[in-house]
Amino acid sequence: MSPDTSTQTAGTRAGSANGAIVSAKKVRKTYLRGKEELDVLQDLDLTIHEGAFEALMGPSGSGKSTLLNLIAGLDRPTSGTIEVAGVDVGALPERARAKWRAANIGFIFQTYNMMPVLTALENVELPLLLARLSGKERRERATTALEVVGLKERMQHYPRELSGGQEQRVAIARAIVTDPRLIVADEPTGDLDRKSADEILKLLERLNQEFNKTIIMVTHDPHAAERAKKVHHLDKGALL
Amino acid sequence: MTGVAVRNLRRNPLRTLLTIAAVMVAIITFVTLRTVLSAWTAGADYAAKDRVGTRHKVSFIMTMPRRYVQEVRDVPGVKSAASANWFGGKDPKHEQEFFANIAVEPKDFLEVYDEIVVPEDQRANWFQTKNGAIVGDAIAKKFGWKPGDRVTLRGTIFSGDWEFVISGIYTATRRSVDRSSFYFHYDFLNDDPRGVYTRDQVGWIVSRIDDPGRSAQISQAIDAKFEERDIQTLSMSERAMNTSFIGMISAVLKVVDVVSLVILGIMALIVGNTVAMGVRERTHEYGVLRAIGFLPKHLAVFVLAEAVAVSAFGGVLGSLAAYPLVERLLGRFLEENVGGFFPFFRIDPQTIVAALLLAAVIGVVAAALPAYSASRLNVVDSLRRTG
Repeated sequence: MSPDTSTQTAGTRAGSANGAIVSAKKVRKTYLRGKEELDVLQDLDLTIHEGAFEALMGPSGSGKSTLLNLIAGLDRPTSGTIEVAGVDVGALPERARAKWRAANIGFIFQTYNMMPVLTALENVELPLLLARLSGKERRERATTALEVVGLKERMQHYPRELSGGQEQRVAIARAIVTDPRLIVADEPTGDLDRKSADEILKLLERLNQEFNKTIIMVTHDPHAAERAKKVHHLDKGALL
Repeated sequence: MTGVAVRNLRRNPLRTLLTIAAVMVAIITFVTLRTVLSAWTAGADYAAKDRVGTRHKVSFIMTMPRRYVQEVRDVPGVKSAASANWFGGKDPKHEQEFFANIAVEPKDFLEVYDEIVVPEDQRANWFQTKNGAIVGDAIAKKFGWKPGDRVTLRGTIFSGDWEFVISGIYTATRRSVDRSSFYFHYDFLNDDPRGVYTRDQVGWIVSRIDDPGRSAQISQAIDAKFEERDIQTLSMSERAMNTSFIGMISAVLKVVDVVSLVILGIMALIVGNTVAMGVRERTHEYGVLRAIGFLPKHLAVFVLAEAVAVSAFGGVLGSLAAYPLVERLLGRFLEENVGGFFPFFRIDPQTIVAALLLAAVIGVVAAALPAYSASRLNVVDSLRRTG
C-alpha cells in the first residue's frame, strides 16, 4: 500500500521525532458520574514506536479502551498530552480531529459495523468518500484493500452474505484503505471463533510486518495478546 | 454521499414501504381537498370578465321587476342582458338528485352565455317550444335524457308538477359552466297561474359589457339607475358575484383548507417518527462513521437525504395515484351528481407542483430534529451503544 497523498490534504500527517508514533505524557482522563469525578486514567505515560504491534490488556474498567480512544483522537485527555505522529491530538478542535483521524487512523471494532445496505466494496470505499477521489480511483483502492485481506472475490457480497470472520476482514480493509500510519483495534477478535480469530490476527501481523503498519490492539484474549510484539497491562487507570 | 443515504431506505423495507404509503395517502388526500377547493371556486376563477351580475340590493333570494332587464340594457357600456329565475324543481323519479333548474329568456340567455353551445336545430326548437328546455350533457347522460323526451319537475317553490320537453342538450366551452343544469322558458313560468307570486319578476340579471376594464363603473351606473326606486340593486362583476356566493360557504371552504394542511402536518409527524427511529437504531453506526472521519454535517446529510427521498418518492407516487382516483373516479362522480357545486372537478397542475414541493419540504422539516440529534452525537458514547 502506497502512502495516500490525497488523504494527506484532509488532515495532518506530520512526522514523528525519535521514532515514536505515540507519545503520551501525564495523561489523565476523568469522567463525571453525577457530581462525582471518576478517574479512568491517572498520569499515564506511554511511548509506542513506529512499526510496533502492541496490545493493551486489563480487566474491565481498567481504562484500556479510554486510552485507545485518546490515542485515536476520539476523545481528549482531561490533562496531559498525547502526541500521535508529532501532532498533539488533544489540542486539535473537533473538526480538525475528524479530518486528522480520516488521514491517520484506521479503526477496527469488535462488532464489524458494516453498513448492511452496501456491498463489501462499497463499505471499504466509505472512508474514501471524504477524500477528493474519482469513483474509479475509489473503487481501485478499495479493491486493492480487499485483495490484501483476501476477499477480492467477495467484494460484491453484502455483509449478510459474509461470515463473521469475513466481515471483520472487510472491516480491516476499510481500516487500511486510506493507508493510515496507525491502526487501532478494539477487541478485534472478541466476536469470533478461534479459527476466524487466528485468521484476523495473522492478517494484523502481516499488515504490521509487510506494510509496516503500527497497530495498537485492546484485547481480553491472551491468545490474541501473544501475537503482539509487546503487551501493556493496565489496572485502575495506570500501566503496570 | 446522498446515494449511500438513499440506499439506507432498503435497510428496513417494510417500514420504508409503510412510510411511503402513508405519504402517498397524505398526498392523495391533500390533492383531493385542494381540488375540492379549486373546483368549488372554479366559477369565480373562470368567470367571464365581460359580464356583470345584478341582484336585489337586500338579498339574492329577493326578486326585481322584469322591466329592469330592459333598463339595464340601456345603460351605456351594456351590450346585452338576460334575466334568470330560480325554479327549484325536482325530478320525481330522482328525488334525491340535485340539479339547478332555471327559467330564462332563451335568446337573451344564449347571447349573454355564449360559452353554452346548443346545436343549431335544437336551439331553434327550444326557441319555438314554450315548455321546451335545454339540459347539460352531464345530466342528460346521467338520467338518459335525449331531445324529444318529456320530463316532469315537481316544484318546491312553485307548486305542482310541471311538464317539459327536452329541446336540446348543451355542452360548454368554459370550465365554469355547470353541465348539469336545466334551463327553460321564463314565459312558461311567468304565464302559469302557479307563478303568480313572481309574475313579471326576475331573480337576477346578467349583462354583457363592452369593456371588461370598466366593469366597476358600469356596475355603479346600473345601481345608480335604480337608486331612487323602491327596489334598489346591487351589481358587480360575475367574478365578484360568484365569489360573494362562495362567501356564504366560506366557513366550510376554510375548514377544507385547514384540514388539507393538517394532513401535511400528520405526514410530517409520520416521516419524522420513522426517521427518528432510524437514527436511534443507527447510533452505533453513526459513531463508527464519525470515528473514521465523517463530520457532523455529513451525518445530517445522511438523515435529511433519506427523509427527503422517502417524502419525495411518496409524493410522486401519491401524485400519480391521485390522477386516476381524483379525476376519473371521484371527479366523474361529482360532475355527474353535484355538477352545480363541482362543474369541473379536475386537478390543477399547480396543486401537483405544490404537493411535490411540500412533500420534499416536509421531508426536510420532519428530519430536521433527528438530523440535528445525529450530528450532535458524541463519538465515544455512540460507539459504546449497540443497536
